[in-house]
Amino acid sequence: MTGWHVDDETLRRYVERIDSVAEGASVEQHVLRCERCRARVNTAAAAADLAVVDLDAVWDRTRGAIEVPRPSVFERLLTAVGVPSDEARIVAVASAFHGVWLVGVATVIAFAALAAKIGGTGELWFVLAVAPVAPCLLVAVSYDWRWDPALEPEMATPYPVLRLVLLRTIAVLALALPAVLLLGLLVPGQPPFVWLLPAVGFVAVVLAASTWINPLNAATTVSAAWFVAVWLTRRAYSPTEVLEARTQVAFLVLAAASFCVFVVRGHHLTQLRPRG
Amino acid sequence: MNGSLISLRGVGRSFGATQALADVDLDLGPGVIGLLGPNGAGKTTLLRLLATALPPSRGEVRVLGRDVEVPAQRTEIRRRLGYLPQEVGFPRGFTAFAFVDYIALLKEWADPAVRHAEVRRVLNLVGLSHATTKRIRAMSGGQRRRVALAQALLGSPPVLILDEPTTGVDPEQRVTLRTVLAELARTSIVVLSTHQTEDVAALCERVVVLDQGRVRYDGAVTDLVRRAAGRVWLADQPDPAATVSWRTGTGRYRNVAAQARDGVQHVEPSLEDAYLLLRADRSGTGMVTR
Repeated sequence: MTGWHVDDETLRRYVERIDSVAEGASVEQHVLRCERCRARVNTAAAAADLAVVDLDAVWDRTRGAIEVPRPSVFERLLTAVGVPSDEARIVAVASAFHGVWLVGVATVIAFAALAAKIGGTGELWFVLAVAPVAPCLLVAVSYDWRWDPALEPEMATPYPVLRLVLLRTIAVLALALPAVLLLGLLVPGQPPFVWLLPAVGFVAVVLAASTWINPLNAATTVSAAWFVAVWLTRRAYSPTEVLEARTQVAFLVLAAASFCVFVVRGHHLTQLRPRG
Repeated sequence: MNGSLISLRGVGRSFGATQALADVDLDLGPGVIGLLGPNGAGKTTLLRLLATALPPSRGEVRVLGRDVEVPAQRTEIRRRLGYLPQEVGFPRGFTAFAFVDYIALLKEWADPAVRHAEVRRVLNLVGLSHATTKRIRAMSGGQRRRVALAQALLGSPPVLILDEPTTGVDPEQRVTLRTVLAELARTSIVVLSTHQTEDVAALCERVVVLDQGRVRYDGAVTDLVRRAAGRVWLADQPDPAATVSWRTGTGRYRNVAAQARDGVQHVEPSLEDAYLLLRADRSGTGMVTR
């Protein structure tokens, strides 16, 4: 027998059955050997209105702990940077945020950057052709019906589709742009930020085009057109010319104009488009 | 509007050169309305229009007095709508609870405790209270269908649009689901499409038969069944006079004919008999519309 006894707060929690399993087991072990605390438990139990213990609530909490899914890593990341947990769930459901897509796109960009690093400026055209369009492909996947299996029931809900698309777009940009920047460091002779405006410009074009056609069709068309344009002009122009200030301004204008079109025509996103 | 909750006026929907629906006029009131028709008849297209998932090419669709073409009114409709599409995919790795909870989030159930209680309620309604934490990928086809149905039941919406709700569901569960839908129909309008005539016979007061995008019959189930009276009989051999004839489990042949037949052992016609007769009569003669 030690001189230690259960403190009042722990005793109350034990009597009201709102203590943790470990805490309760500890109190129980002590009470078995301590007549004084046993008497206090009896007194407290008699005095407490045990009807106030909401057993349904306790059961709901228990079920909740089992049933409510744990947030994914990406969802927790979004919550950590201040996105409300509901919005984080809605964003994170998109296929684009599943590992395989992210790894795939990052790998393609990494190979392109590595090719430029090893091959020198002669291979820069490949990075130029690939890096700026990777984010727009990811954005398209984040809300294209072919990659969103639950699209039809989602569309019949009152949640604003425009908001859904924008949230997922911002999440893609938040992930993809730092990756593009980081990989841009590998490319010789170019400051890494020159890739940003073309990437944002193409994302805006895809958003605007998706008010007419499916997002992934828009993204693949934009990507293919950009790839062909860069490949065809690789001998006539140095890739670095494309990234000069004048071109950067052009991309800025393209991004702003496309975004305006998207906002004006956004209501066209709220219903299914016939497949094919 | 004459008290109808859903009205369609001159509604058509085309996909390129294909006309899925043509000149559909309907007024639907409370209760369970069954949609019957062969594959490609336009049932899914019609339900998508009612669920605001697809815009009409022509005509006007109003649900609860609101126009599905006006964005603000469309959102109001969606607040009062439960929709089960013909095919529902599920995000990878989701459990039944996670999926229904996700749709509940999109349906503006903001309070987590209230939302979780509602998710449990609807999963319980479809008989999945024991499988809430089971991954959907590991579920049978019938269980997946019930998960999809559960999301449509969230909040007991006043308008319920169900595209083949009982496909793949076992007979016991189908009976349970019929009870749930019948209960909901006390306060809601339930429009369901199915290939199961026995579901329509058990649940619906009214049936709409579509064929090639047009309404071929719109009226009471009992009226449609009555049209087959005296035209269904059992015989030891298939009758050449029958429009449709098939061998039953007893070894005898059930014959259904467009014309009434005398001197044979008539049996009580079923909705399936009446539907088959209607389908056989595609020339348009004798068709009934309300």
